[in-house]
Amino acid sequence: MKGYWKYFFNKLAWFIVTFIFAFLLNFILPRLMPGDPVAAIVARLAQGVSDATGVQAIYRQYTELFGTNRPIPEQFIIYVRNVLRGDFGFSFSQYPRTVADVIRSSILWTIALQFPAIIVGWLIGNTLGALAAYRKGAFDKLLMPISIFVSNFPAFGMAIILMVIFAVHLKWFPTSGGYGFDLIPNLSWDFIRSVIVHYQLPFWSIVIIAIGGQAIGMRAMSIYELNADYVKFSRFMGIKDRKIVRYVFRNAMLPQITGLALAIGTMVGGALVAEIVFSYPGLGYTLLNGVMGQDYPLISAVTLIITIMVLTANFVIEILYGIIDPRIKAAQAEQG
Amino acid sequence: MSRKLFSLVSAVVVLAMLLTACAAPTPQVVEKVVEKPVVQTQVVEKVVEKPVEKVVEKSVVVTATPLPTKAPEALALPRQETLYFNGFQWGPVVCWNPYSSSCNNAMAISQGDNARVTMFETPYLYNMLDGKQYPLLADGDYQWNATRTELTFKLKKAAKWSDGTPVTAEDVAYTWATHVKYNTATGAANKEYIAAVEAKDPQTVVIKAKVDASGKAVNPLIVAAYVSSNYVLQKAWTQKLEQRTGGDATKLMADPAEDVVYSGPYHKFYTDDTKVILVRNDNYWGKDPSMWGKLPAPKYLAHMIFKDNAAGSAALARGEVDVSQQFNSNVHLLWLNYGLPISTYLPDPPYHIGASLPTAFYNLKAPGLDQVAVRKAIAIAVDYPTIIANAMTNQSATFEQVPRSLMNPTPGEQALYDRAAVKNLQWTGNDIEGAKKLLDEAGIKDTDGDGWRDYKGKKLSYVATCPNGWSDWQAAIEVVAAAGKKIGIEITTRYPEWSVYQTVVTKSDTPLPAGYDIFMMWSAGTGVTQPWGRIRNLLSSEWVGMPNNWNGNWGGYSNPRVDELLKLIPNETDPAKLKAMYTELVKIYLTDVPSFTLMYRPELFHTVNETVWTNFPHKDDGTKPPVPPMNCINGWGVACLYNIKLVKP
Repeated sequence: MKGYWKYFFNKLAWFIVTFIFAFLLNFILPRLMPGDPVAAIVARLAQGVSDATGVQAIYRQYTELFGTNRPIPEQFIIYVRNVLRGDFGFSFSQYPRTVADVIRSSILWTIALQFPAIIVGWLIGNTLGALAAYRKGAFDKLLMPISIFVSNFPAFGMAIILMVIFAVHLKWFPTSGGYGFDLIPNLSWDFIRSVIVHYQLPFWSIVIIAIGGQAIGMRAMSIYELNADYVKFSRFMGIKDRKIVRYVFRNAMLPQITGLALAIGTMVGGALVAEIVFSYPGLGYTLLNGVMGQDYPLISAVTLIITIMVLTANFVIEILYGIIDPRIKAAQAEQG
Repeated sequence: MSRKLFSLVSAVVVLAMLLTACAAPTPQVVEKVVEKPVVQTQVVEKVVEKPVEKVVEKSVVVTATPLPTKAPEALALPRQETLYFNGFQWGPVVCWNPYSSSCNNAMAISQGDNARVTMFETPYLYNMLDGKQYPLLADGDYQWNATRTELTFKLKKAAKWSDGTPVTAEDVAYTWATHVKYNTATGAANKEYIAAVEAKDPQTVVIKAKVDASGKAVNPLIVAAYVSSNYVLQKAWTQKLEQRTGGDATKLMADPAEDVVYSGPYHKFYTDDTKVILVRNDNYWGKDPSMWGKLPAPKYLAHMIFKDNAAGSAALARGEVDVSQQFNSNVHLLWLNYGLPISTYLPDPPYHIGASLPTAFYNLKAPGLDQVAVRKAIAIAVDYPTIIANAMTNQSATFEQVPRSLMNPTPGEQALYDRAAVKNLQWTGNDIEGAKKLLDEAGIKDTDGDGWRDYKGKKLSYVATCPNGWSDWQAAIEVVAAAGKKIGIEITTRYPEWSVYQTVVTKSDTPLPAGYDIFMMWSAGTGVTQPWGRIRNLLSSEWVGMPNNWNGNWGGYSNPRVDELLKLIPNETDPAKLKAMYTELVKIYLTDVPSFTLMYRPELFHTVNETVWTNFPHKDDGTKPPVPPMNCINGWGVACLYNIKLVKP
């Protein structure tokens, strides 16, 4: 048990160090981009103002309001102080909305789209990959080319193909929006049905691509495991096939679980392509606009959420690995 | 056997997928229109936002608009009662505060030459078709005093606020005082020209212009524009707002103003990240016979928030949008190829009335570009028909139809200069031989035999640029670069991100850096101060040296005679003298070529789908005064809301 605690604290220390660096980068990197976000805001409002001093006054007011005229270290201290209080400040691009409000209004759409898509894509993909590796033959021959073909589709290509086929031509699904253009959110059956119908194309445009990648990965891992010495040995020992398969897939799953954890960690970044192609509400497009408009507070807040989620997912996975797979813990303990 | 069979099956499946991908013939409109939406709004709409005043160390505590908000009544909008828009709103609504210009609330708030009058109202409505201002809150035309230093107008007795109280001269005066006190964009833009707005009696407003040393108004044009560009807001509500924000300008302008009192026919119904809906106020004062005599036809005005033009075009084609303000690429295919009941203001190219002049500016400090011969040679060599066909899909008049000057294609502006007097200076493009001759005569030749012309021993080599993702502008810039190659001037293209581009271009207190030799920016559209305002932006030397120049003349042109003419025009009332002055300005512009127009662009795109509603403004539709194609919500264009009818009542 001592070895495990050592392993645990080792991981925890790394978690904290990585977090501090990531936090620093989240703050610094957006601010290193060339260009001036306040000038962009002044651009929106100064077009009616024809006297030079008027424009200057507006510019000064905004730089002071957002603190962009202060030295970076000072900005950082203010930022840390505010973040500790859970205050991310105003969004530059949607001023006077706060960053918290911007994120709140779109994050549910993003999670509702991304989380099920990631899980479904992962489950179907892994099942198919495992089956292909195990059943081989015909199944593998059919599945593999399709998987490779589909997983190499650029995401926007898949989204547009689905849209053209199912929305424009077959008219089974709408082309845009999160719910009917003539509806207002409520708990009626009409509205729920509309949400479900609007959900399908963005959802499948993500799932279909994910399936291919997962299946290929899982198949390769499974084939590798199926040919491992312990499988041969087990067979010689006369252990039942069914039991061997369980061993094999448990081992093959490990990297796939890491992949899943990372995917869930980064999902808050949004499904940008699906959001744009289907005009689906969500955080991806908001973030893109934030990046284009150098909305430092919004970029920092979203990347911070992503950082925390990815690091936490990684940390949990590593801790779980320590428990699930004794080899990892042992190796780590030896190193330490 | 099974192996072969499955190989065959997989091949067939893959092939089938490929074919489905290729064979789907989307309507071209859906596929082709990929433009930068946010950017388009900025260019087309001139979103005017307002400043914030005080230094705040920590974030100000402001309750932002809670989104999504609860819907009060209907759960689904009846199609027969709703007019759908696109192209105005590209992100979620932030607030309902007309003192702020950061509300991103395009359906309700947009002050300017063609102010949006759905929820808030201006005393007058500008009509871009005849250049006149028609009374809305005001009663009858305004009057200038003899010296053109005081403008007086009366308010309609019927005009009421949403809370039932009358709109008074006191409200008009207090609105102005608030703009000045809190230095809003309206205040900052006008306080150099307007000394005071006073209430003579409850119905009579007097606007006093600032006067110069000679006792003349500094700029009567801007004073006259004020009455059709800026909303009148209620004094009582403004005071309430001031009270709750404690006199702090930042807080005042960041207030979401959900409780705002308005005088217009519509108000907030519902908003979230995907849409904004306004609902009619059935007690709207405008149903009084002294104004419209009835309520506007649609009960709801709704705007879905699309994330790009492609999605907006698809919705227009499907009939989910009635009025489209966005650029729909190849718009004519919608009715020619797909037979949809969709139309633009003009039935044939250019489909819209051009209003602004997207312009290529020269960095006049770049070696070689300080020579008129080089500037003019590039300008006359450019293939404008290709720009108009590709970048604008023919939704711009050609330079054969509307010869270049400083005027937009509206008849009013075209009549302001003497076309014959500048005829030999105007060009229509593709004049490669003429350009070569011009350069040869100036002694700018290829001296070292490398195929490129040299000036003072150095190869003429420039970078042409515009923001990345502004696809129509990028297409135009590519054509400019191609023209250079044909006449022996090397022009390469580069497309920085907008955030970088705008920072560099608007910094007029330092020379433009490398990479910005030829660059695109916009020019003003229609309005009471035009074409004077546009010419001032394009040519006035007063912008040179500004650290944040959002006005114009980004290339750094300076000509004392131009400055003098720009000073004289606003106070000139004699049409003949005005014409002479405008003609002289056009002459100077076409001779010196400090910048050149690449295409004409409408003030607002105006495409309508008449599946549900009909009787929208079209050219020669018989309306008097003519209703301009302003999407039924801007300036005099709002008359459209009272004219439209249901196709199947």
